[in-house]
Amino acid sequence: MTLVTEPMKLPLHEEHLQKGARMGDFGGWLVPLFYTSIMEEHAAVRTHAGLFDISHMGEFLFEGPEALNYLEKNLPRCITPVKWGQAIYMPLVNDQGGMVDDIIVYRMADQKFLIIVNAGNIKKDFAWFKARVTQGMTLTDLSDELGLLALQGPLSQTILLECFGAFYKNLRRFHYKDFEGGIIARTGYTGEDGYEIMVPKHKLKQIWDVLFRVGAKHGLLPVGFGARDTLRLEAAMPLYGHELNDEITPLEADLGWAIDLTKEEFPGSAVLKKQKKTGILKKRVGLEMIERGIPRQGFEIQKDGKTIGAVTSGSFIPTTGKNIGMAYVTATEAKTGNVIDVIVRGKSVKAVLVSLPFYRRKG
Amino acid sequence: MDFPENLRYTKTHEWITVGGTKAKVGVTEYAQKEISDVVFVELPKQGQAVQQAKMAAVVESVKAAFDIYAPVSGKITDANKALESNPALINQSPYTEGWIFELELSNPAEMNTLMTAAQYHEVVQQAPKH
Repeated sequence: MTLVTEPMKLPLHEEHLQKGARMGDFGGWLVPLFYTSIMEEHAAVRTHAGLFDISHMGEFLFEGPEALNYLEKNLPRCITPVKWGQAIYMPLVNDQGGMVDDIIVYRMADQKFLIIVNAGNIKKDFAWFKARVTQGMTLTDLSDELGLLALQGPLSQTILLECFGAFYKNLRRFHYKDFEGGIIARTGYTGEDGYEIMVPKHKLKQIWDVLFRVGAKHGLLPVGFGARDTLRLEAAMPLYGHELNDEITPLEADLGWAIDLTKEEFPGSAVLKKQKKTGILKKRVGLEMIERGIPRQGFEIQKDGKTIGAVTSGSFIPTTGKNIGMAYVTATEAKTGNVIDVIVRGKSVKAVLVSLPFYRRKG
Repeated sequence: MDFPENLRYTKTHEWITVGGTKAKVGVTEYAQKEISDVVFVELPKQGQAVQQAKMAAVVESVKAAFDIYAPVSGKITDANKALESNPALINQSPYTEGWIFELELSNPAEMNTLMTAAQYHEVVQQAPKH
């Protein structure tokens, strides 16, 4: 017997079809891969603005007099200094030092926190958090109730202020303000300036519509998951299931900046403190193809005929025309300028290790 | 969608046109739309032997790689080098400037196993819609 599971539909499914989206599966969700073309949408976000429906993402609410203590105990960064209206990025670490997920924690009040998790990890993360719940706090999965849009690109501020007013002016990066029963945060996953707008699902359509009504004259385009991936890759942002998984540690992933090893204890802290001292054996790096070929996840990397690692993400980049990728290679080979071989369909193709990110926005 | 009458088709969305003992191969209008923006093409080498329904070239979009199968068996006599610098030719004109390789047929009888434009049209109509 085969069990066929229907992919889940986004709340704005019909709007995506209306805009001509080519839909495809992403972690059990039917999502827009592109509307016109990945090339055009990638460029729009780098030069104007793009709007993404990322309502597939999960949201958990942590509340109660013990909520702060609970998060301090279980998360790898200090939460106490995070103020109301502020958000913070970090990996979620398991007892072995591997990564359960990467998350953003929003402080909504003294003892009220919202955490955004990856769609593919909602069940796993919820179980992980639930197993650690203590008295004096509650954990609620709001994933089915909240929708999320990302407005990204150099003109996103212009569009946002024109739509929703000067109240959202001067919103600092990784800060948020209340909006329509949800929030607008200055965060994103593209390497551009931008906002993520989280609201109850039933309000999504109205916001989607007003953003396009105003945004059209600023070159705002709907952007699918194809360009979301090329944009985050160019900005060297890791993606769970590619650069991050349960076995890779934050130190190997170059996310040392997103954990606090001076913290007394958190899951996996002993392993990570030890690894920090003894050194990592493999490291996340960037690579750029010298010879013709596109690196893809799983492709082997060799140096002088010996395996030194594997590609975790790779793509042609529309705006630069370059073929780039991220990979894990042995720490001894992880040097910028190191010329290596990517094995593309049985053939060695030359590439060079480069410093990350591939793209950094100006100003 | 345009499927020229003078071509023969495979169910894997290649087209072939025979002139004498040689034949040119490319992908169909339907295939180029499915692949979306072609950004990379890996061509077969001249003299390389290819087998019917086996991989002969690779076409890549931003997101993924697609194997291109030889519609019939033979030996590669030429490949469209223009695709290396301008892979988008496959999207722009899949039946003309976007041809991929040329081969010399080793078993012309294999041509009888391929589909006419009308038969291929049927196949495409039954393909899942996005």
